[in-house]
Amino acid sequence: MALLNRIYTDQEQMLDEVIHLGEEIVASSNLENLRENANLNGESFSGKMSKFGSEYAKWYANHFVMPMHLVQAIQDNIVYVHDLDQYAIGTTNCIFIPFDKLLAGGFNTGNGSVRPPNSIMTAMALVAIIFQSQQNAQYGGVSANKLDHDLAPYVNKSFAKYFRKGLGYFEEGDETADLGDITMGRSDLQEQYPRTYKYALRETESETLQGAESLIHNLNTMSSRAGGQIPFTSINYGTCTSPEGQLVIQSLLKATMRGLGSGETPIFPIQIFKCKQGVNQEQGDPNYHLFLMAAECSAKRLYPNFANLDAPLNLQYYDPTDPDTEFATMGCRTRVLSDRFGRNHLSGKGNLSFNTINLVKLGLEHGIALGRRTKADERGFYRELKHYMDIAADGLLHRFKIQSRQKAKASDFMMREGVWEGGEELAPDDQVGELLKHGSLSIGFIGLAECMKAMYGKHHGEDEEVYRKAYELISYMRQYCDEQSERHKLNITLFATPAEGLSGKFTKRDRTVYGKVPEVVDREYYTNSFHIPVYYSLSASKKIELEAPFHDLCNAGAISYIELDGNARNNPAAFINIVKYALSKQVSYFSINHPIDRCTSCGYEGIIGATCPSCGKHENEVHIRRLRRVTGYLTGDYQTRFNAAKQAEVRDRVKHGV
Amino acid sequence: MNICGYYPESINEGEGLRAAIFISGCRHRCKGCFSPATWNFKYGEPFTEQRQDEIISDIKNNPLLSGVSLLGGDPFFSADEVSAFIDRMRAEAGPVPIWIYTGYTFEELLARPDSPEYHLLGRCQVLVDGKFIENLRDPALLYRGSSNQRIIRIQESLAAQKVIDWEPMYSF
Repeated sequence: MALLNRIYTDQEQMLDEVIHLGEEIVASSNLENLRENANLNGESFSGKMSKFGSEYAKWYANHFVMPMHLVQAIQDNIVYVHDLDQYAIGTTNCIFIPFDKLLAGGFNTGNGSVRPPNSIMTAMALVAIIFQSQQNAQYGGVSANKLDHDLAPYVNKSFAKYFRKGLGYFEEGDETADLGDITMGRSDLQEQYPRTYKYALRETESETLQGAESLIHNLNTMSSRAGGQIPFTSINYGTCTSPEGQLVIQSLLKATMRGLGSGETPIFPIQIFKCKQGVNQEQGDPNYHLFLMAAECSAKRLYPNFANLDAPLNLQYYDPTDPDTEFATMGCRTRVLSDRFGRNHLSGKGNLSFNTINLVKLGLEHGIALGRRTKADERGFYRELKHYMDIAADGLLHRFKIQSRQKAKASDFMMREGVWEGGEELAPDDQVGELLKHGSLSIGFIGLAECMKAMYGKHHGEDEEVYRKAYELISYMRQYCDEQSERHKLNITLFATPAEGLSGKFTKRDRTVYGKVPEVVDREYYTNSFHIPVYYSLSASKKIELEAPFHDLCNAGAISYIELDGNARNNPAAFINIVKYALSKQVSYFSINHPIDRCTSCGYEGIIGATCPSCGKHENEVHIRRLRRVTGYLTGDYQTRFNAAKQAEVRDRVKHGV
Repeated sequence: MNICGYYPESINEGEGLRAAIFISGCRHRCKGCFSPATWNFKYGEPFTEQRQDEIISDIKNNPLLSGVSLLGGDPFFSADEVSAFIDRMRAEAGPVPIWIYTGYTFEELLARPDSPEYHLLGRCQVLVDGKFIENLRDPALLYRGSSNQRIIRIQESLAAQKVIDWEPMYSF
C-alpha cells in the first residue's frame, strides 16, 4: 500500500515504530500508556491483548487513513482525535438505549432470542444483558435515559402476578376474576382485598430490591468489554411518579447505598438523578422524597449525579407526556438531545465521535506568557483557532464518511435490534449513514483556564474582564459549531471534553516545547474544559456562578463539580443546599466530589487520614482504598488506576468545607 | 482577642455550609483535646478590625452559607468581644444564624443571668455544650467529639428554661 501521509516517509522508521509498539506492551514498560484509561487494567493479559490491537489501529489510522492536515494538527499538539483506534473501522461512540422497546418486544443477542420479561427481576437481569450486548457494537458509553419509566411496567407485572396468587392464598377472591389492570396505585383493590394487596406489595418490593441489587452487581462484575473492562454504563432516573416507577428509583438507590458484596461503593453504573421542578424539587412534589434519598445516596456513594431538566437548553425539548424528551446524560457528560432531523429525544441515538482542541497551546502562541509580547494578539489567536477548528471539523466529517459506509451487520446488535432507531429496518449489508446522521459530531476543548492565563496573565476565575474574554471565546466556538451544522447539514456540537487520557498528554508535549511556563505549563495536566482550576481557592457558590453560563454553550455536554472536604454523609443540609444552588444557577449537570476512603481491614468508610478512626490501623500496615472520581467515572483506587496527570490533579483539588 | 483558625466554608462544624471562626483561649483544659495549642489566648492572629471586615465580607457575599460557627479555644472566655463581633457582623450582613461551641454546659451558662457569657449565649441559635471527655469520644457523632456533649436550640431552651435538643433539617 502506498503511503497516504507523506509526513512519514522513512519505511525503516515505520517498521521500528511498529516493533516498538509491541515491545512496550509486552514489557509493560510504558505505564502512562497502559493507564491511559482508568478502567482498563493495561498490565493484565486481556488488557495487553487489547492494547496490541488498539496501538496498531492508531498507528494504521495515522499512516494510512486520516487526512494529512489532521495528522499534522495532531503532531502540532493542538487537535486530539479521541478513540483513534476506532477511526479506521468506523465504529461509533455512545448511545442512549431504548430499553422500553427492547424489553417490550424481546430481542436477539446474536446467539439466541430472549422473550419479553414477565417480572421485574427478569427485566432487571435483561437490562444488564442489553447493556452488555450493545457495548460491543460501539466503543463509548451506554446509557439508560429513563430507566424508571422503562422498568415500571415490569414492577406492575410482578405486582399483578403476586396479587392473583394472593387472592387464592388468602381466599379473598377468585384468582381468575376480571379485576381490570391490577396496579399498585389502586386503592379500591387495597380496600377490597387488604391482605392480598399487602402481600403483593411486600413481595413486589422485595423482588424489585433484589433485582436492583443484582443489576448493580452484574454491571460491576461482567468484564465483557475488550481488555477486561466493564461496560461504561450509566442509568438516569428520578421523574417517574407512578408507584411502580417510584419503587424502581427507591430500590436502585437502596441497593447502591448498601454497596457491593462487602459493602464497598459500586463503580458502575454511573447514576444520574433527573431533577425537575414540580416533580422532585420541593416539599409536596410527588418525588421529592426520592430527591432527598438521591442526595443521601450521593453523599454516601458519590452517585447519583444530578441532571437539571429545568436548565434552558434542556427545557426547550421537554414534553411532560414523553419521558424520552427529558434531558439525561452519559455519565461522562455527553449530551445528545436535539436533532436537526427531528429526533428531539434521547433514546435510539448517541454521539458519533469527537475531536478536542488544545486551547492552551494557542494561548501560549498568541498570549503574553512567553514574553514575546506585552499585549495578547487576539486576532492571531482567533485566526489560528479557526484554522484548527476547521481541521477538527473536517476530521469529524471524514470519520463520519467512514462510519456511514459501514454495513449494518458491523454494529450487529445495535442495528439489528433497533437500539439505534430505525436500525431494525436495515438489511445486514445496508450502509448505516442515513441513520447515523441523527447522532452528533462534537468539537471539544481543554484548558480554558491555562489559555486565559497564557493570553492575559490571569484566568477567568481571577478577573472579570478575563472572564468576559473566556465567555466570548467559548461562545465563538459554539457559534462555529452551529454554522458548521448548517453548512454540512449535520448535528455538530460543542463539547466540554471529559479529558481523562488527554489531561496530561497535551501538557507533556507542550512542556517539551515551552518548558515550564509558570501557572500555564507547570503542572502535569491542563484544567478540564471551562472549569476554574481545581487548585484555585474560591467559594463553592462562586465556582458554581462562574461555571454555570458555560453549560448553556456546551450543547454536547458539560459537568461542574464542587470538591467537598469532610464527611459529606454527616451534613445533609450542606449537600442538598449546594445541589439546589447549582440547579438554580442553570448548571445542566452537576456533582459533588468528596473523599470516600475505605479501610480494607475493618471495612470502615468515610474519611481516613493516616490511621483508620475505627480500628486504629495505620496506612502503612493496611491498605486504605481511596476512591475518587475522574471525568465522571469512579475508579477503584486512584493511586493504582489513575495516570500520573490525573493523580496530580486529584492532589491539587481545593476543597470546600475544610 | 486572637483567632486561631478561619474556614470560609466548612461542613464539619454544624448544619449546612458554615463559616467557622476559632477564637483563641480556653481554660477548660480537657484531657485529649485535639488542639491544646489553642488554649493560649495569644495563639493565632489578632482579630483586628480589618480581619473582621474581611471575614464579614466573605460571609455577606456567600449565598450558600447557612450561617457562622464560633469555636475555639472557647469563645465564652472572650464573651464581650465575641458579642461585639456578632453585633458588628449582623449590622453588616443581616441576621446570620450562629452555632457556638463551649466547654461550659447550658445549665452553667443559664445560672449566671446578666453575665457577659449569658448575653453571648442569647445572641446565638445553637449551642454545642460540655467538655470533651476522652473516654466518651465517638467519631460517629455529628458535629461534636464526645457523647456527653449536646446540641441545643438556644432560644427555645431559654424560653422554656430547660434544654430543648436541636434536630437536623434533613437526616440521612
